Amino acid sequence: MTYFLPASLAFSVAVMVLLCHGDPKRRRAAHQPGAAHGVSMRRLLAVAGLLPGLVLAGTGDAAAFLIWLGGCAVGGWLVALWAGRQPAK
Amino acid sequence: MIHLPKEETKLMVAVHGWSGILLGLLLYAVVLTGMAAVFAREIGIWSAGYIENGSVFERPIDHVVRDLAARTPTRDHEGIDLFEVGDNNLGLFFHHHETEPSGELVNRGVYYQVDRDGRVVSEQRGTGEDVFGPRNDDALSSFLVDTHVRLHIPNPWGLLLTGILGLAMLVAAISGLLIHRHLFKDIFTLRRKASPVLVDRDRHSVAGTWSLPFAFILAFTGSFFSFFGTVGVPIVAMAAFGGDQQALNEAVFGDPARPDPRARAIGNLDRITADAFRRTGEAPTFLSIENFGRADSAVTSFHNPGTGDIEPMTLVYHGATATFDRVKPSIGTRPSTGGMLAAIMGPLHFGNFAGLISKAVWFGLGFAMCYVTLTGLRLWLTRRRENARSLAWLDRTVSVVGFGLPLALLVAAAAFLAAMPLGSAVFWTPAAFLGACATAILAGFLSVTNATLERVLQIAIGLLLIALPLIRLATGGPGWPQAIEAGQPVIMAVDLAMLIAGGGVLWRMLAPHRSGLAEHPMLQPAE
Repeated sequence: MTYFLPASLAFSVAVMVLLCHGDPKRRRAAHQPGAAHGVSMRRLLAVAGLLPGLVLAGTGDAAAFLIWLGGCAVGGWLVALWAGRQPAK
Repeated sequence: MIHLPKEETKLMVAVHGWSGILLGLLLYAVVLTGMAAVFAREIGIWSAGYIENGSVFERPIDHVVRDLAARTPTRDHEGIDLFEVGDNNLGLFFHHHETEPSGELVNRGVYYQVDRDGRVVSEQRGTGEDVFGPRNDDALSSFLVDTHVRLHIPNPWGLLLTGILGLAMLVAAISGLLIHRHLFKDIFTLRRKASPVLVDRDRHSVAGTWSLPFAFILAFTGSFFSFFGTVGVPIVAMAAFGGDQQALNEAVFGDPARPDPRARAIGNLDRITADAFRRTGEAPTFLSIENFGRADSAVTSFHNPGTGDIEPMTLVYHGATATFDRVKPSIGTRPSTGGMLAAIMGPLHFGNFAGLISKAVWFGLGFAMCYVTLTGLRLWLTRRRENARSLAWLDRTVSVVGFGLPLALLVAAAAFLAAMPLGSAVFWTPAAFLGACATAILAGFLSVTNATLERVLQIAIGLLLIALPLIRLATGGPGWPQAIEAGQPVIMAVDLAMLIAGGGVLWRMLAPHRSGLAEHPMLQPAE
């Protein structure tokens, strides 16, 4: 569990970066060219991002689950802030 | 997400906006100091330069308790609280329970502080409220915690106010959830070149959406703590115990053993702390002895949650024989869902269930909530742009509080570092805070524009963050090698965090390529 928590948090934040990158509304608002993710892809990524949390909850490690959940909340917000600072095309 | 009819949505928007605008600035003060108070223990170690590592309960305490009991009136043997104070010193509060004429239950007795060599360095008499005030070496962390818990307003009014602020945060979170139609669709959308209303709306709703689950948790648990003693206990005592709060405490939290007032010396306390260490893997955080010197004496050992858990552990020992009795639930005598929920309120609110990692995450969530509160106030003002002149004072107030408050907290920290070696930190910490607040308010009156005011305050914040580690060293605080050698890397970690944060703020404010971003999006002329 020592390495699983940071690994799962890193994995979920990486998935959030992908979700953010292909987010249709964000891309439209930022006038970014290229295709946004379709609905299926977004759902697939969302499920993938939640998987580590499900595993942590399944093991009954409440502390690790809360750290993962809080870390995802802060990480997701920071990803959104970072994406919002990218110059519009 | 949730689609309400148009009229109900308008009502919810009004509830959301007014609950925020009426109490938003006070809520911001509570959330900001709460964010810092997550690291209150680490700030205490950093600011006072504590270099003793480990727990006071890893040292022998048995002889200290016996020696002090011999010189303390027997009436005050009814309860003894033992805990760590300062740089690995032991605090002991010998007390008895008393009901004030107002009906309030208090503990009155003698409070000793004993250093690591077993010498009594302080002895005070009075109620718990009288003797547990801030000390010279913890004035800064005490000031932070007291601001967060009750905004320095006397009890019960301060607690009631922070409880109401928690409820306002809960109302804002629920109404925010109901009025946001595209919660997930908008979760990454931050428009920079849209109208000021949309820019502020995006900032507010994105941060609010990400931190929403924790806004519920922190607001609920905060209100629980504020209302527990001020409203909950008196009402339940009145309804079920004829107003007798002591009877309620004994029934809900106490030991159900039959009273046995026969005199009997207490068993070896060091054996109890060693056994508690063995069972939980760590030293107690707090030790409580009931009926010291009687046959029915009991020792309760409180511990942080175990690995992977968020529920703190409590062990009970037979005092007379120093033998293990049972694992004690938080409420009642048998484990229950209610008892478990009550027990996890603290860890969920303080984020201290897994050491520095969980604290760092809770700090980040607190920062997000400060951001949500401030951007919410900004959004409310931007939407009322046509009334710009009449609301300009509120816009200026948001700037003064938003950036003046963190600046004042940093000034208080600098004053603490300078005054602690002189023994006058209890006075100078709040005095410097008030002085800095007054200066920020004066700057608010004198500044021509909000943008200038905010820029000046943020530059001052950045400079102070960088200066604080230097002030700490200049006033005799331990250097990094000494702290690491003593097993206290927290001191270096706090220094580094301040240097990085200060550098980041200054870079954001002073870097030439960012000057275009510093423009204030607020209260601009109509497009």
